[in-house]
Amino acid sequence: MQTKLSINFVFLRCLARRVKASTLYTFALGAIVFLFASSAQANMPGETEASDTQAYTNPSAVKQGTLLFKSEAGFMSAPTLHTDVRFTVTGMLVRAHVKQRFQNPDGDWKEGVYVFPLPEDAAVDHMRMYIGERIIEGQIKEKQKARKEYQQAKQSGKKASLVEQERPNVFTTSVANIAPHETIVVEIEYQQVARYDAGRFNLRFPLVVAPRYIPGNSNIRVEGFAGTGWATNTDQVPDATRISPPVRKPEQGSINPVNIEIDLNAGFKLDHIDSPYHDIAISNQENNYRIHLKEGDVPADRDFVLSWQPATGKMPQAAFFKENKNGDDYALLMVLPPQQAQSQVLNREVVFVIDTSGSMGGTSIMQAKAALELALNSLKTGDRFNIIQFDSHTSQLYPASQAVLPSTLQQARRYIGTLEAQGGTEMAPALHAALMQQNAEQGVRQVIFLTDGNVGNEDALFKIIEDNLLNSRLFTIGIGSAPNSHFMSRAAKFGRGTHTHIGNIYEVQQKMTDLFQKLENPVLRDIKISWPDRVIVESWPQRIPDLYLGEPLLVSAKAGHLAGDVKMTGRIVGQDGAGQDWQANLSLNGGKDAESISVLWARRKIAALMERSVRGNEADHIREEIIETALAHHLVSKYTSLIAVDTTPARKLAEILKRRALSTNLPAGWEYKKVFGTMPKTATPAGLYLLLGGFLLIISLFRSLFRNVYLKKCRSLFVSTCTRAGIVNRIG
Amino acid sequence: MLTFYMQRMTIMPTQPCRQRRNLLLLILPLCGLWFMGQGTYIHAKATLAQVLLETAWARALDGQKAVKPWPWADTWPVSRLSVPRLDIHRIVLAGVNGSALAFGPGHLFASALPGEVGNTVIAGHRDTHFNFLKDIKPGDAIELQSDEGGIYVYEVVETHIADETDTVFMDREGGPRLTLITCYPFDAINPGGPLRYVIVAKKIKMASRHEQT
Repeated sequence: MQTKLSINFVFLRCLARRVKASTLYTFALGAIVFLFASSAQANMPGETEASDTQAYTNPSAVKQGTLLFKSEAGFMSAPTLHTDVRFTVTGMLVRAHVKQRFQNPDGDWKEGVYVFPLPEDAAVDHMRMYIGERIIEGQIKEKQKARKEYQQAKQSGKKASLVEQERPNVFTTSVANIAPHETIVVEIEYQQVARYDAGRFNLRFPLVVAPRYIPGNSNIRVEGFAGTGWATNTDQVPDATRISPPVRKPEQGSINPVNIEIDLNAGFKLDHIDSPYHDIAISNQENNYRIHLKEGDVPADRDFVLSWQPATGKMPQAAFFKENKNGDDYALLMVLPPQQAQSQVLNREVVFVIDTSGSMGGTSIMQAKAALELALNSLKTGDRFNIIQFDSHTSQLYPASQAVLPSTLQQARRYIGTLEAQGGTEMAPALHAALMQQNAEQGVRQVIFLTDGNVGNEDALFKIIEDNLLNSRLFTIGIGSAPNSHFMSRAAKFGRGTHTHIGNIYEVQQKMTDLFQKLENPVLRDIKISWPDRVIVESWPQRIPDLYLGEPLLVSAKAGHLAGDVKMTGRIVGQDGAGQDWQANLSLNGGKDAESISVLWARRKIAALMERSVRGNEADHIREEIIETALAHHLVSKYTSLIAVDTTPARKLAEILKRRALSTNLPAGWEYKKVFGTMPKTATPAGLYLLLGGFLLIISLFRSLFRNVYLKKCRSLFVSTCTRAGIVNRIG
Repeated sequence: MLTFYMQRMTIMPTQPCRQRRNLLLLILPLCGLWFMGQGTYIHAKATLAQVLLETAWARALDGQKAVKPWPWADTWPVSRLSVPRLDIHRIVLAGVNGSALAFGPGHLFASALPGEVGNTVIAGHRDTHFNFLKDIKPGDAIELQSDEGGIYVYEVVETHIADETDTVFMDREGGPRLTLITCYPFDAINPGGPLRYVIVAKKIKMASRHEQT
């Protein structure tokens, strides 16, 4: 009994001490919290207070966002936007209707300007403006002419809409004279071919133009027509303001809801239909699928992707679509080269280039790092490698590529671990670094480029790739929720490689595995197409790019009358240089009649001409040829726009028209502060230190003075509580 | 649970308990003193640096470029800011990184220098050099002296409380103006808050060095 009691006593005393210590800490913490809260309260009352004669508001008495003094009148809200997209997929041909519903939320006359993305190969051939019940069909005009007409309509109070192309994948819709509380709908139609790769068809529809990094010096004045974005025009990107819509902060909530519906008639039985970034609902009748978004409206903050896979053995090896328009035959041919047995894999040099700019912040950098780690694992003994990272500056792991060894791989992994997303996207020095260190004799050299491609100076970068490629091959991996697909596909094309997209962390494994297969398997090269004799054919692209494993040969042709057989030849070349000939014959009789094959032909022609102008020859001649082609096929291009003007004036000229740029969402997974920066941090922790120090001193003083009294009190309190609760009895 | 404690307590003699308490008694006030010291040091550094900077500024006015106020400094004075009504004088340093701001208000590299076209942006700590911003009222005159001696007079037109991401205030474009930035609220304890107090002043005239003195 005695021992038991003493144990009890020791236990209780120590417990009491614990109680005391924790009480003290709680007290200290509570006091700090109280101070924080009270200071916050003091500084953020619900209302602003005006004081004395000057109507001067004390700065420490207002809420965030309150405008204390502003010399000019306040700002107005921009029109709101709702987008409806409907796709009709027939075989591999995609027809899209994009309806942009501009609504004026208040009592002023508005002009809305919306910068939005479309797929980089979209052939935009129709635009309609809906004003109530009336429909005005858009006309294709040379860009400056269309702009002038739009300005005149705008100034004379007529409703007008204008669709312009800023980049192959960035467009602008301007709508003038939206009456107070009125809704104007602008419908845009385009034609496209679904991308086939590695056994699947893919339809990618971007929903937001991600903020782009604009390199260069901003000493060029903004021209009158532009100037609604946050970027400034620079010497390297003279149209920066036109591709930089204002970006909404994430805490303001998302805007521009989008609804998507798809009619899919692939023409054969399907195994899978997926949408990796959105939840979809599918209903089908035989081979006709109807797909819509499960949630209805979604925010425009990431790419929409639909992919479908033919059932095993159902994928045709070739396809032929044709159209007769204005007396000419147009054709679209697709041929799937056979899968080749893997050749001997040679030792290669792999240079990884990773974008660590601010736009890669958040989820993108994690995806890029995971992809890079996986790529390191795919390296074999005998290979050589290097890693280059770039943001505002370029730096690399090794001065020159190193052999793959356990030690170098270890260093590489550590290097990847330190990568952080911050700063600008100065891509040119990184491309130079990746392409410079090569000698002519060496064998396979692969540059794997991980980026979101969100830059404004694409053409200058393509030129760098084109000029410095030599023996290297460039493979782009588009990272994140809203990559610049135009950059990805075109850079890979100039780099004679291929491109892929990784949109979330779960895709890394699959997409990288697919890419490794392409890197290791033979390539179909030197592809030539022999059209039937005595038929003059204008086909695009004129130089067929190299085809990697799983990629189809796609060509558009125009001729007076297409008939007979077309012969395609090429060489399937492995990494060891050993090759075998490939040949395919296709009859041009029959084929499926389809609308808009001519439009696709024209679009591919314009794309090929634009590539030529990047190479820098005959700019004027190319421009004229593009305008001619675009006008003939009613296509929006860099030099032509669609315009619709209402004939009757709506706005009285005494009423003022307010031009407003529509904001866009920040792409999903991005970090606002990493992209746009913040104001400097301008507070020292002095106050916090003094307060903490003071507290600690007071506490220790308190302790040494009242230690015994306090301890005894605590103990007796605890004992009495325990006794009352019957704990002691139970223990005893 | 209770049994667990009982076992522990029987093993643990009372003596170490007391020793630990004594140790705690020592650590607590030491920590307290250390924190007090840190807090005081920040303020002392801020005040003392300004005194040293005045001499560096005098040398800059004499025509020396990028005068380092002390040999290991990674910043240099670029301007002298004065508010006659409040009798405030501050030497402004180059750059807005933490090490410059510890010694004086910092001039944003990307912004215009006094006398240049565009927006001159200066940021300072709300609890040291820029604490006086809370007393600035619209209409107040703020003077900036460039290292060539010219004095530019600005008149306060707007004050804003903005989120740190509202970088529009730091835009270079627009009329000739001075933008002063500090953290907000002025007496908050947490140094990492998201709010900024922004004062925008427009340029009204240039006074010569002699007129001023």
